[in-house]
Amino acid sequence: MEGVKKEEEQDGVSVHSPCNAPRSSASSLPKEQSQVELEIKLLEALEIYPPFQLKGMHRHFVLYGLMEYLRKSFDRHFSPDEVLQLLDRFYNLEMMKPDDEEIEILNQEKDFSLPQSIFEKDEA
Amino acid sequence: MGSSNTGAKDDSATTSDGGNSSGEDLPASNSATYSDGEKVLAYHGPRIYEAKIQKTEFTKKEWRYFVHYLGWNKNWDEWVGTHRLMKYTEENIMKQQALEKKQGTDKSSKSGRTNQAKPKTSTDGKVEKEELKNYVSKGKKRKIDSIVEDNVSTGKVVKILIPSTLKKQLIEDFEFVNQQDKLVKLPRSPSIDDILAKYHEYRLKKDTMTADSVGEILKGLRCYFDKALPVLLLYKKERQQYQEFVVDNISPSAIYGAEHLLRLFVKLPELLAYVNIEEDTLVHLQQKLLDFLKYLHKNQNAFFLSDYDGSKGHEGSSRGKDD
Repeated sequence: MEGVKKEEEQDGVSVHSPCNAPRSSASSLPKEQSQVELEIKLLEALEIYPPFQLKGMHRHFVLYGLMEYLRKSFDRHFSPDEVLQLLDRFYNLEMMKPDDEEIEILNQEKDFSLPQSIFEKDEA
Repeated sequence: MGSSNTGAKDDSATTSDGGNSSGEDLPASNSATYSDGEKVLAYHGPRIYEAKIQKTEFTKKEWRYFVHYLGWNKNWDEWVGTHRLMKYTEENIMKQQALEKKQGTDKSSKSGRTNQAKPKTSTDGKVEKEELKNYVSKGKKRKIDSIVEDNVSTGKVVKILIPSTLKKQLIEDFEFVNQQDKLVKLPRSPSIDDILAKYHEYRLKKDTMTADSVGEILKGLRCYFDKALPVLLLYKKERQQYQEFVVDNISPSAIYGAEHLLRLFVKLPELLAYVNIEEDTLVHLQQKLLDFLKYLHKNQNAFFLSDYDGSKGHEGSSRGKDD
């Protein structure tokens, strides 16, 4: 499973990231423990970034938010695929219905117009 | 349950609950229509739900009530005004049922009591999935509402600072189309897809670490553009051209270019208001978007047209130069 591979990387990196070091040295099953921590952090993140938005037009920005949340939590890079894989444990994204709200926004066609601020001098 | 009110009015009236006799929906200066712990009916979106008053507050000359929707997760508890509430009476329950019928939902609501098919337990991930499906089909609108409200009220709206040369570009763009009766000649080269790809390459060379983040943001921009173009980004005079060029399954981002991409940036704060992004992440995002705009500015001559096509006909199909 790819998820396991990622954790090996993480452990390998632990020498460089002090925050990771205690975890890998203290536990007898570092991989499983890391997986649980990842999942916990993901679930935390999902309180901010609701999963249903991963179906609609905002999904890339939501995914970006999730990537950033995990990056801050574990002090390492997370790829979009990795985040999606973690998500897959909890949500079947394929089964989720698309964003109804989005359909509503997109039904209200408006002509484009420039805001007043375009005509104003730059502040900075 | 439910006290019957005499008279034609079926909104809150002089009944025992709450203990105030203000009558109409308009509360008297200092007396609340509803009280803590009272079970009420509350409007949310197109429907009416059973709710319970958790807190009351008098601010800015009006009463506000913090309600919990019975049977729904407490994350959805919210402050509402008096106008959103009704007394829990038979008449109002019938209103609720009438609305449900109108919505044509699959909820069964024979009695006036429980009408939410949603399971109450939400402790583990698996049940969450079920809840989500309910949420997605019925209550999702309210979650979006609170996301947008939150962002707007806390000022957590992404600020897109458009460089002044690009502002000028937008003004010219406006003038070409609306005052000079010209159109951008389609299809554009480079297209938006091309420009986004070029930028990605450029960032990759500078800094491989953030490649994934940048990649996701660019995908997000493309996705927004494809969805938003016909809805938010066209001037009236451009609609016909759009109909002619964006046919079958063609993505607008393959046809249009920098001129229209730039308009997306004007609308971006509005679109992103629907996403709840953490503050520090929002700052990062802003920086990345600004970097992209600077890239557009740097390559302005290569990416933007200096003049548009004025050879289109007046009415009917454009008789300009076709490819």
